Amino acid sequence: MGRVSELMDELTVCGHLAAARVRSEMQYRLSFALQIVGTFGFYTIYFLSIFILFGHFETMGGWRVGEIAFLFGLAGLSFGIAHMVAGGFASFSDLIVRGEFDRVLLRPVGAILQVIATGVQLRNLGDVLQGMVVLGVALRLVAIDWTLGRLLYFPVVVLSIALLFVSLFALQATLCFWTTEATEVANAFTYGGRDLARYPIHIFDGWLRRLFLFVIPVGLVVYAPSLYLLDKTDPLDLPTWTRFVAPVAGLAFALLAGAAWRLGVRHYRSTGT
Amino acid sequence: MAAPLIVARDLSKTFLVARRRGGALGALRGLVDRGGTEVHAVAGVSFGVGRGELLAFVGPNGAGKSTTIKMLTGILVPSAGEATVDGLVPWKQRKRLARRIGVVFGQRTQLWWDLPLIESLELLRHVYRVPADRFRSNLAAMRELLALDPFLATPVRQLSLGQRMRGDLAAAVLHDPPLLYLDEPTIGLDLVAKARVREFLAEINRDRGVTVLLTTHDLADVEALCRRMIVIDRGRLLYDGAIDDLRRRYGTHRTLVVDRDGGAWDVAPPLPGAELVKTEGPRAWLRFDRQKVSAADLIAAVAAGAPLRDVAIEEPAIEEIVRRIYGEGTGAAVAEDARSGRTASSGGTLPADEPDRDAPRIIPRSP
Repeated sequence: MGRVSELMDELTVCGHLAAARVRSEMQYRLSFALQIVGTFGFYTIYFLSIFILFGHFETMGGWRVGEIAFLFGLAGLSFGIAHMVAGGFASFSDLIVRGEFDRVLLRPVGAILQVIATGVQLRNLGDVLQGMVVLGVALRLVAIDWTLGRLLYFPVVVLSIALLFVSLFALQATLCFWTTEATEVANAFTYGGRDLARYPIHIFDGWLRRLFLFVIPVGLVVYAPSLYLLDKTDPLDLPTWTRFVAPVAGLAFALLAGAAWRLGVRHYRSTGT
Repeated sequence: MAAPLIVARDLSKTFLVARRRGGALGALRGLVDRGGTEVHAVAGVSFGVGRGELLAFVGPNGAGKSTTIKMLTGILVPSAGEATVDGLVPWKQRKRLARRIGVVFGQRTQLWWDLPLIESLELLRHVYRVPADRFRSNLAAMRELLALDPFLATPVRQLSLGQRMRGDLAAAVLHDPPLLYLDEPTIGLDLVAKARVREFLAEINRDRGVTVLLTTHDLADVEALCRRMIVIDRGRLLYDGAIDDLRRRYGTHRTLVVDRDGGAWDVAPPLPGAELVKTEGPRAWLRFDRQKVSAADLIAAVAAGAPLRDVAIEEPAIEEIVRRIYGEGTGAAVAEDARSGRTASSGGTLPADEPDRDAPRIIPRSP
């Protein structure tokens, strides 16, 4: 019980820290607004270019434009949520290089919670909004049979994908305890994973597909649940249970990231003053 | 006296400095192949700090001062040795310890850069869960002691360095920590701001009983504030004791300053057991070893040569003494230097001194 109330207290503190972070962001209103508008515009044009391509061919790997839009929106919305929450992990190497992680360790609040709360990036709202708009377009183009199961599973999928991405950002941040020079490589799995998850994964070649299905399961958690939600047949013949494995994958990666993080903090070297 | 607040025993921290490789592939290889050079940032440091003490860690850049403090706050996990702070093992009970310590880094602020100072202090109230009435009375005390009112509503990024440091000092003690660590708290400050910081530290040590442990380059801080100092270099303790003892033990040379009456020193004054440092018009500086010649004899001898108007005796500056202690270590540390690639500090030898009975600890340097 003591642990639960302790956690609740820490979450309250983190609420204050996150609010302060947002107030800090709001000090630069123009830059804040431009980032949201910019991100929104960028992905809208990106999406329109795909839309235009579909004027020339009807389907992509057997998926029609509305279904691709669904993947695009689902991946964008989920990633956007993760990107807002995990901004502190995404820019964690700066915290390490500037020695500011010292201060995190000097406060009576869990380090992971602090990094999340003090790194909230409300300016990544553009990703989220754009994902929602594209999902809206998709739902107009595709008639989803909204059974109760699908209705309940859809938000779970969104949160599971977001959790997986947050965990990947956390793993990327953990790497910084050993080296701050490899973040570019990790970006291939986070940002790269998002871009890849926007397409039906069976259109990709062997090793790339296996990597994002089974190792860094970004593809799996977007593609497989979409098969269920859109009622599509799967040319890859993945077992049916994989369509419901997204929450498990998200939680497993969260636990993995947590364990790696604790190991990393013990290796933290700080910087000379 | 009650149990000491800090106990450190053979505390050590060894860093592995990896070879640099270029590019992302190189960085990945660096993860796998941990080959590199070992640097002993702190190599077996032991000391205790009692409640209510105000002491300084002194040493050149890279001596291991900050690393030692970071182990005592729980930021770094030591490679070897043990320590307790207020009965807690810092790196194992970091969060619990965090409530009982305040930490100020002179070069980095803990305040929220884009928010007004008062908002940072309010946030820290939540972070440390300070009861509202306690916070109110502490804030009132700090506003007066550190004269915060003129810039309480100013965003931290617009504060001067001195103002920011005052804000940081307030931030560090709002939760009533019994122990305050400060890493270079006066660095970069002008004389007025430095004096204010020192006054503040002396006051919270005296009035609130806060134990203060500070690292500094500025020996004027030490002379103004501390009774005890720990000299550290190349990760080892070189001296741990009272400042007065240090001066008595190493500061055998003093300087006699004499002003002669009428005219400049055309001829050098007589020097029984002393050497002439310099003359400037009617004033002359004579350096003498108080074990070879007494001040009275020297003054008498000088006065016999020329009429004097004024005399004064200057004690050696701590700075000079510390420089000589650093010099002591250079011989044995050569092998270590070769490994870590650091340059030795300027040389110098210690006077052969007879040991005092209650001498402070001079820690021998083992290779």
